[in-house]
Amino acid sequence: MALGAFGLASCDTRPVLNILNWGEYINDEVVQNFEEEYGINVKISVADSNELFYSKIKSGTTPFDLVIPSDYMIEKMAEEDMLIELDYAQLPNFNEVTYMDGVEQIFDSMTATTFERNGQTIDYKDFMVPYFWGTFGIIYNNRVDGLEEALNQHGWAAYFDATTHLPNARRGMYDVAQMVYAAALLYRNENPNNFSNALLEQARQDVVGADFMEWGDDMLKRNIESDNLDMAFTYTGDYLDRAYIQIDEGKTLAEVQAEFDIYIPNNTLVFIDAMVIPNTAKNVDRAHLFINYLLDPEVVALNSEVVGYATALEEAYDIIVSYADSTDHYKRNWALANLTYYNKDRQGQFYPMTTLSPADIDAINSMVQQVITG
Amino acid sequence: MTNEKQYPRATLQEYGYRDFSKFEKPLTVLKHILFFVIFLMLYLSIIVIAIQSVNSSVRTSEFLSITFDWYPNILQEEDLMTAIRNTFIVSFVATSIATIAGTFFAVGLYSLEKKKRQKIMLLNNVPMLNADIVTGFSLMLMFRLLMPIFPNIFGLFTLVMAHLFFTFPYVVLSVMPKLKETDPNLMDAALDLGIKPYKALIKVVIPAIKAGIFSGMLLALTMSIDDFVISYFNTGAGFDNLSIWIYGVIGRRNLTPSVYAFSTLLTLFTLAGLMGYTFIQHSKKGKKGELK
Amino acid sequence: MGKTFKVLAIPYQIWLYILVFVPLIAMVLIAVSNYDSSVPLNQINISLNHWSILVQRQNMIAFRNSVVFAVLTTLISFVLGYFAAYHIFQSKFKNKFIILTIVILPMWSNLILRVDALNNVFSQNNIISSILGFSPFGNITGKPIAILIGLVFTYLPFMILPVYTALEKIDYALQEAALDLGLTPFKKFWKVIFPLSIKGVVTGSIMVFLPTLAGFAIPKILGKGNFLFIGNVIENKLLSSTIFYNHGSLLAVVILVFILGSILLLTRFDKEGETLL
Repeated sequence: MALGAFGLASCDTRPVLNILNWGEYINDEVVQNFEEEYGINVKISVADSNELFYSKIKSGTTPFDLVIPSDYMIEKMAEEDMLIELDYAQLPNFNEVTYMDGVEQIFDSMTATTFERNGQTIDYKDFMVPYFWGTFGIIYNNRVDGLEEALNQHGWAAYFDATTHLPNARRGMYDVAQMVYAAALLYRNENPNNFSNALLEQARQDVVGADFMEWGDDMLKRNIESDNLDMAFTYTGDYLDRAYIQIDEGKTLAEVQAEFDIYIPNNTLVFIDAMVIPNTAKNVDRAHLFINYLLDPEVVALNSEVVGYATALEEAYDIIVSYADSTDHYKRNWALANLTYYNKDRQGQFYPMTTLSPADIDAINSMVQQVITG
Repeated sequence: MTNEKQYPRATLQEYGYRDFSKFEKPLTVLKHILFFVIFLMLYLSIIVIAIQSVNSSVRTSEFLSITFDWYPNILQEEDLMTAIRNTFIVSFVATSIATIAGTFFAVGLYSLEKKKRQKIMLLNNVPMLNADIVTGFSLMLMFRLLMPIFPNIFGLFTLVMAHLFFTFPYVVLSVMPKLKETDPNLMDAALDLGIKPYKALIKVVIPAIKAGIFSGMLLALTMSIDDFVISYFNTGAGFDNLSIWIYGVIGRRNLTPSVYAFSTLLTLFTLAGLMGYTFIQHSKKGKKGELK
Repeated sequence: MGKTFKVLAIPYQIWLYILVFVPLIAMVLIAVSNYDSSVPLNQINISLNHWSILVQRQNMIAFRNSVVFAVLTTLISFVLGYFAAYHIFQSKFKNKFIILTIVILPMWSNLILRVDALNNVFSQNNIISSILGFSPFGNITGKPIAILIGLVFTYLPFMILPVYTALEKIDYALQEAALDLGLTPFKKFWKVIFPLSIKGVVTGSIMVFLPTLAGFAIPKILGKGNFLFIGNVIENKLLSSTIFYNHGSLLAVVILVFILGSILLLTRFDKEGETLL
C-alpha cells in the first residue's frame, strides 16, 4: 500500500467511488471491508476545512460522489442546491437504527435556523446521514486544586469569571472568533447563534473578564495535558484524542482523568459531520451503498475505534459500551470514555453553529481582535 | 670623542599605544563561545525535532523512551508519503526549470545595456522580497482570471508556475556575479576558434560559472521545498505538498512523529551529502598535489 | 558577452512584467471592491466602505506590533549576524558553498515544525525538561521575548549570507594597507572594513525586516496568539473560514507599499543586487 503511493496509477478495473473526507476520520479497516464486500475501489481525498469542501465541490474539478462536511456547510450547500435528496429506498439499514438524542436536536435546530432565515422548511434528513457528531466542553487541568469542584458547581462561570473563581488559573480559548462569541453567549444562557450589537458588547466584556492568556487551536489541548494551561474551551473530541493516546500508552481512563479531564456544560455547542451526495456525483448508487454500509451499527462501532467523536447511532453506542467489560485494555477504556462523555441518556441543550452574515462575522472578528490587542 | 648624550627614551605607552595583549586570549575565547551559542540557537529547533523523532510517545511534552520506530513508519503513512512525493515533484521540477532557464536568462541579462538591465533587476527583486502571503494571494487572483478559459488550471501547473516565480530570481542573482567575474576574453577566444556562439556558451561559459549555478540551484530548492503560503493559494486538485499537509494536520488531528523523523532524515542526508562533496573536493586536491 | 545573447533575456522580461504586474493590479482592484466570500463574481463592484478597517484600532495596533518587532529583530539580527559573518570571514574558511549550505540547512525543515519545536522548549513542561529535569529557557512562551528569539534565529541566515558576501569582496590589499598605515585592528575594522560592507548590511537588514513585517506563523505560535501582527490580520481575512478578499487585499496593498519602498531603497545601495546572495 505504501509503495502504491509512489507507483504509477495501478490498472484497477473495479468500479470507483470518490469520497471527500476529513483527514484521519475513517478507519482504514472499514474501507477495506467495504471494498472487499462490494468489489468497489474507494478513493478518499482529504480536505481540512469546510470552506475547502465547498470550493472543491463548486469547482467540480474532481466529481466527488460522497462528501462529509459539517452542519453549517450542509445548510449552505442545501440552500444553494448543491446536494441531491437521498433515496431512502436504497438505505434499508436506516429503518433499523435510532439516532442519538443529540443528533435529533441538531436536526431540529438546523431546520429552525433555515426556516427563520429563508422561510422555507428543509428537512435535513432528506440530504444527510450523520457520520460523527460531537460536543464542545471545557477541558481542564485536574492537577489544580479546586478546579474540578468549581466547574461542577458553577459551570461556565468558573471559566469566564476570572475575578470570582480561581483568579490564578491559566485560561485559554480557541482563536476562531465565532466560537469565542458562541461560548460567551452560552455563558449567559443565550442561543449562541443570535447576533445583536448588545449581545456582542456583553460578549466582549465577558471575554475581557476571562483574562485569556492563550489563543490557539490544537495547542490548547496539548498544553492542558502537559500542565502548561488550566482551562480551555475545545471539542470534546480533542480531549478524547489525547486521552486515547495516553490509554494507548498504558494508562487507564481514571488515571488520565486524574491529570486532565473535560467538563461538558448542560448548554453547549455541538457539531455534526454528515454524509451528503453532491449533485455533480457520478456514482450515486455506489454512494448510497456506502451510506447504507455506514448505517450498520457494527461498522459504525468499528469506525469509532479510531475517531474521538461520538457515534450518531444508539445501536452503535450500545455496542461500544458493551466493551466496558472487555479484557482488552484499550477497548475497555474506550468504552468507558464513551459511557462517560457521550452518554446517550445525557440531557442537554445542544446548539450547532450556523453561518452568520459576513457583516456579523466581521464584527465578531473585530471584537475578538480588540480584546486581544487590549 | 664619544659624545653620548642620554636622550630620554619614550615608551610605546607615551605614544599612545595601549597594550591590549592580555585581553586578546580571553576575548578570542569569548568570541568563539558567542559564535558557538549563535550556531546552537540556529540549530536549536532542528535538534529538538530530532529529539522528538526518537521519542516513543506521540506527545511532545514528555520524553518517554528512545525508539527509532518512527523512521520506518514513514513508509506506512500514506497521507504523509503522498505529501512528501508531491513536494519533491514540485520542487524538483521547479528547481530544474529555474536553474536551467534562469542561467540562460542571467546570460541574456548580462548582455543587455546597463540601464535596461538595472530596470529588470529591480523587477527581479519583487518576487524575492514580497511578502509571501501577498505573492500567493495575488498569483491566485491572476490564475482565477484564467479559469474561464482553462477550468482545470489549478493543480500542478499553477503550483509550478508559482514556484518558478519566486525561484527564478535566486538563480539569476547567483549566476550574475559569477558572469561578471569571468574573463570577457574567454568568450571572444572561443568565437575566434570558430565555435558557434551557443556552443561556446555551453562549453566555455557554463563551466566557468558552475559555482554560481550550484548556489542558485541550492537556494531555489531551499525556497521551494518549504514553501507554504504561496503553495496553499495556488494548488488544486488535491495536490498538497508537505507544508500544506502539516498545516492541516497540526490544526485538528494529531501529528504523527514520523514527520519529525522525515525532517531529521532530510537534514542528515543533506549534511552527509555536503560532507561527501567536500571530501571528494579534498581528495581531488590531494591527489593532484597543488593543482585544483 | 556577445550581443547575440541579448535575446535570452526577452522571455524573462515578459515573464516578470506579466507575473509581477497583473497580480498586483488584480489585488489593487479587489482592494477597492466589495468582493468577499459571499459575493458572487458577477456582483462585484467598486466600494470603499471597508476602508474604515484601516483606522480600526486593533489593526493599527497590529501594524505597530509588526513594525516594532520587525525593527527590533533587524537590529538584533544585525548585531549577531554581522558578528557571525565576520567571525567566519576572519577564520579564512574559503569554501562558500559549505558555508551557504550550513547556514541555510535549517530552512529545509518545515517552518511550522521548527517554530512548534521552539515553542516546545519555551514552555514550562517540555521535552527537554522531562529529560533534564528543568527547563533551560524557563517559561517564556507567550511573551514577547519568545517571539523575538524565534524571529531572530529564523531569519538570521538572511543576514549572515549577504554580510559575508560583502566582506568576502573586500580586497585583502586594503586590509594590509590599513595595518601598514598603523591602524589598530579595531580602527581597521571600523574605518575600513565596516564601511565597505555596508551594502551587505543594508541587503541583510531588508531581507530580515520584510518577512518579519509580514509574517504571521511565528508570532501566532510563539506568542500564543496574544500579540496580533498585521500578518495575522491578513491571514484571518484570506486564509481562515471567514474570508474577506477586499479587506485582505487592502491591507496587503498597504504592506506592499512598505515592501516596494524597501526595494527602491535597496537598489539605491546595490544596483545590481550583488550582495543579495
